[in-house]
Amino acid sequence: MNFTFSEEQLLFQSNIADYLQKEVTPEAVRATWETDTGRDEARWQQMADLGLTAMLVPEAYGGLGLKEIDFILLAYECGRVALPEPLVSTAMVATPLLASVAQDHPQCAEVLQQIATGEALVAIGHTASDFVCDAHTADFLLLPQGDEIHLLPRNAVHYTAQPSVDPSRRLFTVDWQASPQTRLAGGKAGVKLLAATLNRGALGVAAQLLGLAQTMVDMTVQYTAERKQFGRAIGSNQALKHHMANCAVSIEFALPVLHRAAYTVTQQACLADYPVSHAKVSASQAALLAAKNGIQSHGAMGYTWECDLHIFMKRAWALDKSWGHNGFHKNRLHQWLLNPAALIGADKTFGLQQAS
Amino acid sequence: MRLEFSEADERFRKEIAGWLENNLTGEFEQLKFRGGPGDEHMFPAERQAWEQKLAEGGWTCVGWPEVYGGRGCTIEQQVIFFEEYARAGAPGRVGHIGEGLAGPTIIAFGNDYHQQKYLPGILAGTELWCQGYSEPGAGSDLANVKTKARFDASAGKWLLNGQKVWTSLAHEADFCFVIARTDPDSVGHNGLGFFLVAMDQPGVDVRPIQQLTGTSEFNEVFFDDAQCDAQDIVGEPGQGWAVAMGLLGFERGVSTLGQQMQFQNELNDIVALAKENGAAEDPVIRQRIACAHADLKIMRYNAMRMLSGQDGSDGSLQKEALIYKLFWSNWHRDLGELAMDVMGPAHQVLAGKPYELTRLQSLFLFVRADTIYGGTNEIQRNIIAERGLGMPKEPRWPAK
Repeated sequence: MNFTFSEEQLLFQSNIADYLQKEVTPEAVRATWETDTGRDEARWQQMADLGLTAMLVPEAYGGLGLKEIDFILLAYECGRVALPEPLVSTAMVATPLLASVAQDHPQCAEVLQQIATGEALVAIGHTASDFVCDAHTADFLLLPQGDEIHLLPRNAVHYTAQPSVDPSRRLFTVDWQASPQTRLAGGKAGVKLLAATLNRGALGVAAQLLGLAQTMVDMTVQYTAERKQFGRAIGSNQALKHHMANCAVSIEFALPVLHRAAYTVTQQACLADYPVSHAKVSASQAALLAAKNGIQSHGAMGYTWECDLHIFMKRAWALDKSWGHNGFHKNRLHQWLLNPAALIGADKTFGLQQAS
Repeated sequence: MRLEFSEADERFRKEIAGWLENNLTGEFEQLKFRGGPGDEHMFPAERQAWEQKLAEGGWTCVGWPEVYGGRGCTIEQQVIFFEEYARAGAPGRVGHIGEGLAGPTIIAFGNDYHQQKYLPGILAGTELWCQGYSEPGAGSDLANVKTKARFDASAGKWLLNGQKVWTSLAHEADFCFVIARTDPDSVGHNGLGFFLVAMDQPGVDVRPIQQLTGTSEFNEVFFDDAQCDAQDIVGEPGQGWAVAMGLLGFERGVSTLGQQMQFQNELNDIVALAKENGAAEDPVIRQRIACAHADLKIMRYNAMRMLSGQDGSDGSLQKEALIYKLFWSNWHRDLGELAMDVMGPAHQVLAGKPYELTRLQSLFLFVRADTIYGGTNEIQRNIIAERGLGMPKEPRWPAK
């Protein structure tokens, strides 16, 4: 057993982190708030050129053929910078869904190739979300209807903007017509694909939440070292140290939960409900605490529009309720736990989590 | 102990309820449930007109002694006033800094000149006030005020120079009470003065601060040789700290009752929404609603207990009031989170562009500030431990 990432994976994370921190500064995020689309097309192409959109695209369609466990560190880094573009949802949520039906649906193969090159951006709807993010810049939309999944080009969909509390997010309600031509899957297969999609969506959100949490802690640690009251840095006060220490503990202890969930999604997607919900709940807790303690430690400054903290707080508050809210995921945890066939012995830390 | 109101008090209740029913109509209808915390920037002019309507009916400054133009209401009557005011959905009081803070301070610490010059405008709802305490370097460490006041003997005026920050409603206010250093070589709470400064003058520059709500309720205020008359200092030069702290006692006074009524309205909104959208079927949400309600009752009971132990003539509370800020602000912050969880996915969507928040969104964002302004959680806990329990004081470095 080895519950760590390889040197190669960590080097990749470090390189991507360098790129994102340099490109996606708080000033750059604020700049996108002022534009119509709220998205930076050049940045999307840069990310595609770095291979980020191609990671989970199978090699047969021009991708790198990697898995969720390879993407999870990148998803975390997207949260670190509060990336406005929907890289996680296109590359980690939508792409595997398209890949799993591409053999029977040549149009999906084509879309996958375009994702890999950066030509296509795919938005995704789900019964777990009331809104479709980024419908306005998506070339294609994956939309559910009952147990079916459909793929439509944007011009076949009517979408209505729903302005968001997080100025970086672009939310839409969509009206559309299903047809046999748009249908990718249905019945049992559709249910299974939708369930797997939900798990990838929640996993991607959990990773971003932990990245957001870490950034809020970093900002706060820095601010409390600089801000002086009573003749000394406010961070020298025990109460503020404890705020940040509590955040550090909750982030550190959510990370292995996230990594374990990514592993199960990759290896045994049909058994991923429990670990994904665990990751989502843990990551949400960490992010909400970082937001709460972060603004508290910033004092009034943290309450201003000028202070960058709200970029990250608002994303955390939004993602907390995306791809299943806390109650939904806690319910999945207890449903698993109270299942008479649940395997919860001392030897069951990893491995099969449910008898059948 | 007697928890019922007297017959006379019940008659008073009918009187104020009836007045509100007859007067919170027409042009004032749109103000119902508006202008509270997080919404204070809305309808300032209309709310000032409402303030004057209240004044016509004799319903401003109800707790002030009659000799100063108030209604001389007993504590019980003030409780009833706030209950009925909130029940009617009457708007957030744009005059509350004058009525609740400046006025009582001028009554307690000011002289005849101050009282004659400033109280009538507060009573009539024609003059609004703001509070010039915090500075960029003086937040939790309030005594680290750097704004300076120098007496120009030839002009017979005080000249103020410096900067205040987080000044609520400074852009609407006619006057500001300012703590400034009268002794330039002093540090800490020594050498301060408490000044009454007119806002409409060349030496005062108000710049709004945009909050994470997208709105601006508070401001930076810059003083560049801002003038005030020789007489417009309350207390002696160098003794301003005592006045400033006396004022903070009023902040924790009966005005908290109105706030609790606001809380009750918010909780009612949340419960109504939870019933409507099905969130109330979630047992966890139901429990949180029950806890929120129970804790609000605790606040009400505590306030009544504290208030009924005194005649309330100075509007201040006993020592137990120290614990109150910590309790209500954290309760309110939790309420904001409950509101978002009850809203569900809709919590993400604005009421309109460019950044118009729904009332519950505004509540959620605004309550992030509750545990910060007026003494942060951390400062409040220190006060409870040090002043309330007599625990050893935190080591403090002298201010530079």
